[in-house]
Amino acid sequence: MNNTEESFRLKDCTIIVRMAGVDPAINLRELRERIAACPIDSVYHHFCETLIRPSFDYPDFRNDFAIWAFRNLRDRVLAERLGIINPYSFGDLEQLRFRVVEIIDERLDEVHYIPWVPKGEEFRFLRAATIVFDTGIDFHSAGEFVRQLPNLSHSSLYYHFLEARRRTGDGTDDFTAWMIKFKKQPTRLIKALAGIDFYFLSLIELKTAIYNATLNFEKQEKRDARLTR
Amino acid sequence: MPASLGDYEQVVGGAAISQLQQLAEHLKGATVVHVNSTKEGGGVAEILKWLVPMMNELGLHTLWEVIQGEELYFQTTKAFHNGLQGKSVILSKSMIDAYENTVRDNAERLRSILEAADFVLIHDPQPATLLEHCQGRKGKWVWRCHIDVSHPYRRIWQYLKPKIAPYDASVFSMAEFAHTLPHPEFLIAPSIDPLSEKNVELSQAEINRVRQQFNISNGRPILTQISRFDRFKDPIGVIEAFKMVREGVDAQLILAGGGATDDPEGATVLEEVKDAAGDDDHIHVLFLPSDAHRTINALQRASTIVIQKSLQEGFGLTVTEALWKGKPVIGGNVGGIRRQVHNYHTGFLVDTPEGAALRIKYLLRHPGQIKAMGETAREFVRENFLLTRHLREYLTLLLGLRQGLSNHLLAE
Repeated sequence: MNNTEESFRLKDCTIIVRMAGVDPAINLRELRERIAACPIDSVYHHFCETLIRPSFDYPDFRNDFAIWAFRNLRDRVLAERLGIINPYSFGDLEQLRFRVVEIIDERLDEVHYIPWVPKGEEFRFLRAATIVFDTGIDFHSAGEFVRQLPNLSHSSLYYHFLEARRRTGDGTDDFTAWMIKFKKQPTRLIKALAGIDFYFLSLIELKTAIYNATLNFEKQEKRDARLTR
Repeated sequence: MPASLGDYEQVVGGAAISQLQQLAEHLKGATVVHVNSTKEGGGVAEILKWLVPMMNELGLHTLWEVIQGEELYFQTTKAFHNGLQGKSVILSKSMIDAYENTVRDNAERLRSILEAADFVLIHDPQPATLLEHCQGRKGKWVWRCHIDVSHPYRRIWQYLKPKIAPYDASVFSMAEFAHTLPHPEFLIAPSIDPLSEKNVELSQAEINRVRQQFNISNGRPILTQISRFDRFKDPIGVIEAFKMVREGVDAQLILAGGGATDDPEGATVLEEVKDAAGDDDHIHVLFLPSDAHRTINALQRASTIVIQKSLQEGFGLTVTEALWKGKPVIGGNVGGIRRQVHNYHTGFLVDTPEGAALRIKYLLRHPGQIKAMGETAREFVRENFLLTRHLREYLTLLLGLRQGLSNHLLAE
């Protein structure tokens, strides 16, 4: 049953990565200087696009700056301070950049020497472009979205649930932005999606979290419909 | 006959094929010319053998041209290759002259094609200076570097960098291989063709036939390194490791590889390897023709563990091939091997012959691990290192160069 005028067109995406045009950083001071001056897309890449790279590890940290501080600079204090940053909690990426630089400045004040890495382990600044594909699949109702969820690719999920927050400007995922336009909004579903603490999850975990959050949606819809009658 | 796009659908799924078609729709009719230095042998030629027909199938008019040169030219480009990977090399004036004259002559031969093309992809340093001879070029030129140039020998880089800088973009296999250049530098990992002779599924009977052909026993574990006979691949180190393994385990070693027309050092290194192997009948040194793809496929499939103990490596496609065949890999802790071999998941990274021996012994004592790692390895390659992903990134690069580089490209 259609409960909206607009259907949801499912997209998929991939990224193509390139060097950010910034010299590699070999110590913490260089890292600070480069972060302060690098293209903002590079900050986004190292915080948010790490999820769609191939990886076996369950990383201790989700962003590349924290990982580099931990694995290469061997500065656990800095790694933890950078690692807890949730990039999606900032109004814009410049605020995120400001916070990262601030944390590194604090650390530079504390340490007795500038932590550095051997040649070959420098931090290399990257950026990426997102390429969007049409899957040819439409959802015509919230129920259809819930039923199709297990079949969604991880990259589709990344595009609509995470990348959307940068693209739409108001920090909303595409699914929510779609359902908000319904004449009769699926409030519970929207709330359930909003309640997911997504940044620290892998895409596999995110898919499970969304699936769990939507699990009872159809049952509740039917019950609500009965009560209304 | 090369496989067609539809043949890959069963391996990678329909969505991956649809993505390629969506990207190609924006590039239909464009002329693309690839230039490298050899049609046979080595990873680049192998990639171009599938990439060129597939780009044509997608509607891009794609050509593959090869630099023609004499022995001194190839000695010089081999010196470039070694120098770019950090080895101290000396170039005489006659070598530089041979290099520049050869590229100039090739530019004369290819100028009309290259200047008219919408996109020209120059692979590795051998043809890199073609660009300066094509002043009337109308398309975008991309330098595709397949080797690790992160720490080049300074004099070689000083010579090549000004010739590479005017390109519209360059492509490296990993960020760690790149050197700062004044144009966009993309990162595209190479890939393998799962339906090529080298990677296609083989029957057990065919694998057994190849094993018997080379007198390789079925009764003891088979350790294999497939690579050109090149010092950077450390075949002598592999023999040292094998001798340590043999102190406690009955195993056999295969060192097999072909030559490439652009590698004049291969014969010398082969002799060194034969000397190091001596008369040990558990070591099989096989010099194979450059088109012995099915034989290599069978040897990899017959193996218990595959070794790639390189000291320097571009990406290491032999590692990808072995992982695709479900074999754990003991790999040198260098270059692109690091992206493919993950300790306890797809194999082990090692820094010394001792490390290789240690990990081989560990795996031979834990056959369950060999099986589990092999299964993980195959899925890892399916997700990340098959040719459809590679082709998708090339098409994206071309689209990006044509549309302008923004953080979003629409292929839909």
